[in-house]
Amino acid sequence: MTQILLRQDHTGQCLSFGQYCDAGGFEALRTALGGMSPNDVQQAVIDSGLRGRGGAGFPTGKKWSFVPRNLPGPRYLICNCDEMEPGTYKDRVLLEQNPHILIEGMALTCYALGVEHAFIFVRRGYEQAAANLRTAIGAAKQAGFLGSDILGSGFSLQLDIHQSAGRYICGEETALINALEGIRANPRVKPPFPAVKGLWGQPTVVNNVETLANIPAIIAHGPTWWKGLAATPEAAGTKLFCISGHVRNTECFELPLGTPLGKIIDGPCGGMRPGSTFKACIPGGASTPYFTREHWGVAMDFDPVAKAGSRLGTGGIIVFDQNTCMVAATLNLTRFYARESCGWCTPCREGLPFLVHTLEKIEQGLGTESDPDILREHVHALNYAFCALAPGAMGPVEGLLRLFEDELREHITKGRCPFGD
Amino acid sequence: MVNLTIDDKQVTAPKNATIYDAAKLNGIKIPILCHDSKLKPFGACRMCLVEVEQMKGRQIPACTTPITEGMIIRTATPDIIKARKMVLELLLLNHPIDCPVCDKAGDCDLQNLTYEYEVNANRFADAKFNHVIDYNNPLIERDMNRCVLCGKCARICDEIVSFGALTFMDRGIETKIACEFEAPLNCEFCGSCVSVCPVGSLLARPFKFKARFWALTNQKTVCSYCGTGCNLTLGVKDNKVLTTVYDENQGFHKGQLCCRGRFGYQFINSERRLTTPLVRKNGTLVETTWDEAIEVIAAKMKTAGASTAALATPRITNEELILFKELMETVGSNNYDHSAGYAHAALTKGFVQSLGVAASPASILDVQKTDLLLVIKTDTYETHPVVGFEINMAVKNKEVKLNILSDKRGKLSKLPNAKTLIHVPGTEIAVINALAKVIVDEKLADGTAASVPGFAELEKALAAFTPDAVAAQCGLTAADIKQLATDYAKAEKALILFPVGLPYPGHNEDLASALANLAILTGKLGKEGCGVLCMAEKNNSQGAVDMGFYSTAGMDAGKIIDGCASGSVKTLFIAGENPVVSYPDHTKIAAALDKVDFLVVADLFMTETAAMADVVLPACSFAEKEGTFTSVDRRVQHIKPAIRKIGQCRSDFEIFGALITKLGGKPSATPAKTFEAISSSVAGYAGMSYASLGETGAYAAVSVKPSFVVPKTMSLASESGKLALVTGSALYHSGTMSQYGEGPMYVCPEGYVELSRNDASKMKIAENDLVIVTSSKGSIKLKAKISMRMPQGVLFAPYHFSETSINRICSGAPVTWVSLSK
Ligand SMILES: Cc1cc2nc3c(=O)[nH]c(=O)nc-3n(C[C@H](O)[C@H](O)[C@H](O)COP(=O)(O)O)c2cc1C
Ligand code: SF4
Ligand code: SF4
Ligand code: SF4
Ligand code: FES
Repeated sequence: MTQILLRQDHTGQCLSFGQYCDAGGFEALRTALGGMSPNDVQQAVIDSGLRGRGGAGFPTGKKWSFVPRNLPGPRYLICNCDEMEPGTYKDRVLLEQNPHILIEGMALTCYALGVEHAFIFVRRGYEQAAANLRTAIGAAKQAGFLGSDILGSGFSLQLDIHQSAGRYICGEETALINALEGIRANPRVKPPFPAVKGLWGQPTVVNNVETLANIPAIIAHGPTWWKGLAATPEAAGTKLFCISGHVRNTECFELPLGTPLGKIIDGPCGGMRPGSTFKACIPGGASTPYFTREHWGVAMDFDPVAKAGSRLGTGGIIVFDQNTCMVAATLNLTRFYARESCGWCTPCREGLPFLVHTLEKIEQGLGTESDPDILREHVHALNYAFCALAPGAMGPVEGLLRLFEDELREHITKGRCPFGD
Repeated sequence: MVNLTIDDKQVTAPKNATIYDAAKLNGIKIPILCHDSKLKPFGACRMCLVEVEQMKGRQIPACTTPITEGMIIRTATPDIIKARKMVLELLLLNHPIDCPVCDKAGDCDLQNLTYEYEVNANRFADAKFNHVIDYNNPLIERDMNRCVLCGKCARICDEIVSFGALTFMDRGIETKIACEFEAPLNCEFCGSCVSVCPVGSLLARPFKFKARFWALTNQKTVCSYCGTGCNLTLGVKDNKVLTTVYDENQGFHKGQLCCRGRFGYQFINSERRLTTPLVRKNGTLVETTWDEAIEVIAAKMKTAGASTAALATPRITNEELILFKELMETVGSNNYDHSAGYAHAALTKGFVQSLGVAASPASILDVQKTDLLLVIKTDTYETHPVVGFEINMAVKNKEVKLNILSDKRGKLSKLPNAKTLIHVPGTEIAVINALAKVIVDEKLADGTAASVPGFAELEKALAAFTPDAVAAQCGLTAADIKQLATDYAKAEKALILFPVGLPYPGHNEDLASALANLAILTGKLGKEGCGVLCMAEKNNSQGAVDMGFYSTAGMDAGKIIDGCASGSVKTLFIAGENPVVSYPDHTKIAAALDKVDFLVVADLFMTETAAMADVVLPACSFAEKEGTFTSVDRRVQHIKPAIRKIGQCRSDFEIFGALITKLGGKPSATPAKTFEAISSSVAGYAGMSYASLGETGAYAAVSVKPSFVVPKTMSLASESGKLALVTGSALYHSGTMSQYGEGPMYVCPEGYVELSRNDASKMKIAENDLVIVTSSKGSIKLKAKISMRMPQGVLFAPYHFSETSINRICSGAPVTWVSLSK
């Protein structure tokens, strides 16, 4: 099993600049600057089939192709390292181990896009990742992989780190751009999309850490090789899966994209904890609808997971055992989203607290017969909110209504939570 | 044009329209709450959701989604109705629903939509908010419990007013609109936020509990403060003007008003209004009848004959000014004038010499159509705030370059990329001449310039104005001057703005000619987005000029005052002017008026001038009469009475008419008849009638015949150890009339002197300290205001206030040299 992002020999410590270079680091950048045109780089990424690792799974090469090349003024690349979705911690693991790969990936991306100034937007709590990046940027600059006229190619790049003031909404790409500009982190109206009018009104690409970290391998080994790393012919590349919940090994694993859910849990996760049996899981970060035993064989790739009624999201898998109350789990997640709503649009600002209120009522045994339908109506309405936070927040609630309606109704008919004592 | 289908109707709409625009254009109503056509797309409330077939029936906001060819849209499917009801239910979740005591009831979007969508019970229940209501300022009440977070208030304050007083704070359900650090509101108090708030969160305090919205009768008219000529809707009940009513479709400014326009209406029904004619008997003014008053005045005017003189305020109507002139002709006098005789000189002398017409070859609409604005004095924002909004929008939305030449910084200097060149007070004409010099020397002039009459003389005269020579004298650098000249000349379109008025004696005919020279030199005349806009102070200043109410053959205002003192003027009739406060050199004016044989004053109030009169006549305000006002850009607008006359008040039109009749003449019967005469005699007004003016007036054409004029510069002997005092307008005031508007007086109740931090700390003066300002004319006590915008050595004082009239120490020079003490 080939790993290109994580190095098993290095868990828990940061790769030095020298170690990264010794293992072939920055060769991809040399290759690109030495003989590939920016278009060639972009084409390789399109051919690789790489899809965004930040949650939406948008084809990366396609996103890049939206950037108009003829507008006056600068273009920007922003690396999204806000990572605040519950259950997701892959970017942190990656950056604590190998910040250099991100820098190389960003340099390649900037070359492809004609960007001369890029930013890494780092979650407030990620002190170690930010420190690693700072050191790595210093080293890369010293070695001539950043700065002006990189490797004599005429291509220049300034890379800056911005540490977020913190909040989940800052991860939404347009809110992130606002935050970076120093204004309130509300999402922006789309269109115009950032690719056309983003940071300071200029064309801007926002990509996730993991997405960008895959670029060096695509350039170094070619898109066909990279695509072939996946577990199925439809999937492309590897994916970081970060695991939490009632399994033995709660770690971040780099696995072929398309590995079936059951194989991940029984394999690297080491199966359920003693005494636990699998009840359900969140397959791709807190905003994705639940999977149950019936989804055991689903290939963990974007399209198959979507076909099965959920989303691959960020690849953050949270596993629940037989003793988990799904109403309580959903309430917990909904509280997070209600707190993190930016307050801009009506359905999310007013609707999420109301859902929290309703779920609390049900969990306390005070629910009424009409509550499931009211929940259903809100799930519908929240899909048409201003940004993707609210639809995301509806993932668990939608899953609860679809897969665990009996358990929900049991709370109401019994007048108490069936999992209490 | 784009073709699309809305609710099964084939329609077309312009390319950049949103679904909401397209529907509206075709008579299809989509409900909105957070959208405002004046503001940038927002899309937060989700009231305007519609379904688009091409998007698989997804519900998308109509207000932010651009249309595309062939779109098939449904605006009222059962699903959508359900979604909208849901939005309303959610908004009502925490809303206090205190409509019975809410001033917004009847005019509230939330109330109306709730009614329309028949949301008669709420299936959801949750806790209500308990935000503290902000009563900390006298004009705007902020009750965040009623807020629906449409953001319009914060957006308008940022996007149009460019003040940024309000912003979102906290998040999720705790989100609210607040000022920085939750401080009380302290802003320009233009009330734009109040006007756009769809609910009762932001309310005009002066109107609180005055009337239910539906009990008001609305009358459209024109603001009577400044020369911008904003359209205004007055809300009337029981013959009282109780408020101004926002109408987003009104005028070029789309219902936007400034503090005085929106909150300064109280003078109309003020308790202090004069209501009966008064005559001086045994030294005191006692009530009399109109018959007696007219009799006495007519007799006095008749005996005085050619030694009668008249001063009028350019706040009265064109028709009244014409009739006033006729009255003077009836007694055989041509001694009439306004605005101290100098405040209109830029037009009546400057533009007449340079352009052959006493009007501006530009309109306010050009502000947003130009590429570069050259603004003389940052005061332009204070004198004409709604033109200021146009400048804000031009700079922020249209990327118009803003260059300011001023003796201090100001609000305009803070706009994005604004360049402010601060010159030594009183040296602006020299700087402008230097700009002309650069344009000529650097061959930046238009090809036609050399053939314009006067070119050779100008070129010769400019020899003394090399950038280096001028820079040294004006406190600028030669590079700055060259850059500004180049930017102006090279801009495809460029517009010059400058305010004139009583507090700007330096903005005279020479300044006007100097500026006209720039426009003529570079061919920036007679084209869209080009020209020079002379922004006269009062609501009908341009009208007073157009009606010719200034001295041509007779005495001008200065000579009239001198004549009063010397006895050559026997009878003086003052209509609406308040020279005792507003003309420079208070002592001289007061002595002259004291001296004159017979003084008649027609006014709304017992002003300082009226108090000296032998006969005082109670005149009507603009809200009680009919006529026309002409704005700075020559928009001729029809004003109509909103209320019946107060007490025994008569309009100036009636007063002058009665006097003419008494004196044996035949006055015009109605303002409409007079306007007919105006339209057949005043250049540019041809073809106009009350009917053709409509609600927003018609532009009187301005045709120019350019020639170059050599402007005189002022010689400024600076006095060592003294500070340079310049006067001007305060943002909340206009002339002396706004002293009777409660709104402006709440916010800015008294005169003050503004000084730099450096000067303040040198003299150990703290904010609000009383300081004594002394000139060669005398001294007055004023509150100190310390500000970042003042350059060291320069003081600023507004001129509006009776009690602290700065004219006690100023004598009409552009700069007054003063000393400060505590
Ligand atoms: C509420 C919200 C939070 C998000 N947080 C993150 C985040 O922390 N990191 C991230 O990469 N993408 C996040 N996203 C997704 C971004 O908007 C964006 O789609 C992503 O950064 C694009 O990168 P990719 O194309 O490489 O996946 C978030 C989206 C939403 C709606
Ligand atoms: S969905 Fe929520 S987070 Fe997104 S804009 Fe609306 S209120 Fe803000
Ligand atoms: S105060 Fe009024 S205008 Fe401002 S956000 Fe609230 S409802 Fe909208
Ligand atoms: S004072 Fe002038 S700017 Fe203000 S509302 Fe009246 S006309 Fe408009
Ligand atoms: S009016 Fe369109 S979202 Fe508010």
